[in-house]
Amino acid sequence: MAGHRLFLIGDNAVAIQPEDRLLRHPLARALRASQDWIDVVPGKQVVALQFDPLQELPSEALQRAADWLDRFQPDEITKGSIVELHLDASARCAPDLDMVASRNGMTAADLLNRVIGSELIVDMLGFTPGFAYVEGVDAALYSERLASPRQRLAAGSVGFVSGQLGFYGLSGPGGWPIIGRLTETLFDAARDEPFLLQEGQRIRLHLVDV
Amino acid sequence: MGLTVLKPGVQATLQAAPRRGTRHFGIPASGPADPISMALANRLAGNSSDTCALELPFGLAEFQFDADCAIAITGAFARVELGGAEAPMHETLQVRTGARVSIGAPESGARVYMAVAGGLVADDFLGSVSTCLPAGFGGLSGRALRVGDRLEIYTGKDVTVLKTPPELRQTLSHTYAVRCVPGPDAGMIPDLSAEQEYTATRRADRTGIEVTGPWPELQHGSLKPSAPVFPGAVQLTPSGTAFVLLPDSQTTGGYPHVLQVIEADCHLLGQIRPGDRIRFIRRTPDQAAEDLRRKTEFLRKWLPDFCF
Repeated sequence: MAGHRLFLIGDNAVAIQPEDRLLRHPLARALRASQDWIDVVPGKQVVALQFDPLQELPSEALQRAADWLDRFQPDEITKGSIVELHLDASARCAPDLDMVASRNGMTAADLLNRVIGSELIVDMLGFTPGFAYVEGVDAALYSERLASPRQRLAAGSVGFVSGQLGFYGLSGPGGWPIIGRLTETLFDAARDEPFLLQEGQRIRLHLVDV
Repeated sequence: MGLTVLKPGVQATLQAAPRRGTRHFGIPASGPADPISMALANRLAGNSSDTCALELPFGLAEFQFDADCAIAITGAFARVELGGAEAPMHETLQVRTGARVSIGAPESGARVYMAVAGGLVADDFLGSVSTCLPAGFGGLSGRALRVGDRLEIYTGKDVTVLKTPPELRQTLSHTYAVRCVPGPDAGMIPDLSAEQEYTATRRADRTGIEVTGPWPELQHGSLKPSAPVFPGAVQLTPSGTAFVLLPDSQTTGGYPHVLQVIEADCHLLGQIRPGDRIRFIRRTPDQAAEDLRRKTEFLRKWLPDFCF
């Protein structure tokens, strides 16, 4: 793979910054499958690889990542799997929907249709446990963070700031305007697969009738 | 067999080995903030280094045992009482059924550790029983201890009385020198001096410690696209301070990441308390790995299975 940057972000982690940021997802999948790294963590531009400096020097880990990248074939890229999710946009679950819609000069129904009609992809999980950044929302739609965050949002709440949705995996504070709530449970520690989402997956949203 | 919490202290949690391979789900590693102290306590209790034990920030905890068992207390120096009489830290203590163990408040250092022979029973999640307070799993129902909680103890083997060798007992003061390598945004602090003292504020918990000092002011728009961060990361904040990340920290962040505390020194962060002073000493990444190798070798003479 060509055109990437590779650098240390400490004494125990390497970062790969691919030329095309969408390559982070197939990179992360392949690197995780290799089981050569302790943690493989995508950010918005890089994929970080954690290693044990007791096993290899940081300079050696950097070289190991470079060698691996030389062999990595970007044309092996497969798209992420599709996950179907259901959005409850009733007033109780979508306290900011009307505000966001009117800012965009459209009805709530139109706004929702534009959002669910977008090509949505899970860009990364992070911030708080189970929080998913979902990119690809129709770029013509505008929304910005609330002036003051809410103290408590329900788990599954869907926030919207221009370009992306934020799925709140846990209940807790949150600063994004909320336009609905997923009926699926994103995170359940008692489940065999505790996390519903992973970076690179494509999301298909369906509105539920209420 | 077990113990009952009479005084829970402040955000006391059950910790064991860190969680690995979960950061891409937004799940931090957790585990003890000062893994050396926890390993020393476990050693005295006849356990492996990362057996589930209690992390007691600022002490102030009291427990009653309903079985005979061996325990050990290490970490920040605090007054320990067993059955009403003063008892030593860094030594195996034989506790009789019904006895109370109380731990006072340390004057320096932040975290006291108490290990129990056999280990404490805790919830497993993704391969680790360490409590993750932000997400609420692991440990005891994913939360800090409360008055009246009962903790179960696994049956331990018989333990002979041991004492931590003096050279392994950390002497904690109010000044810390931590070694660091450059972070990806190190260019923002070209003038960092090893002589400069920074100060820990009251904003400190298992996610991180706020540190004030002559950090550069963030210009508008200096937030970065969210990038992966690991414990030990030093990030500048818009309020002109820095945040040093601990084991429960978030997995990605958008603040400039200027320094990374080396893996060999992250255990010191777990003992820094509000008002303590910190100096940051620069190392190269390969020097940091050598520092880690040396410290691990030194510790393994007494803790043969220890890993940072």
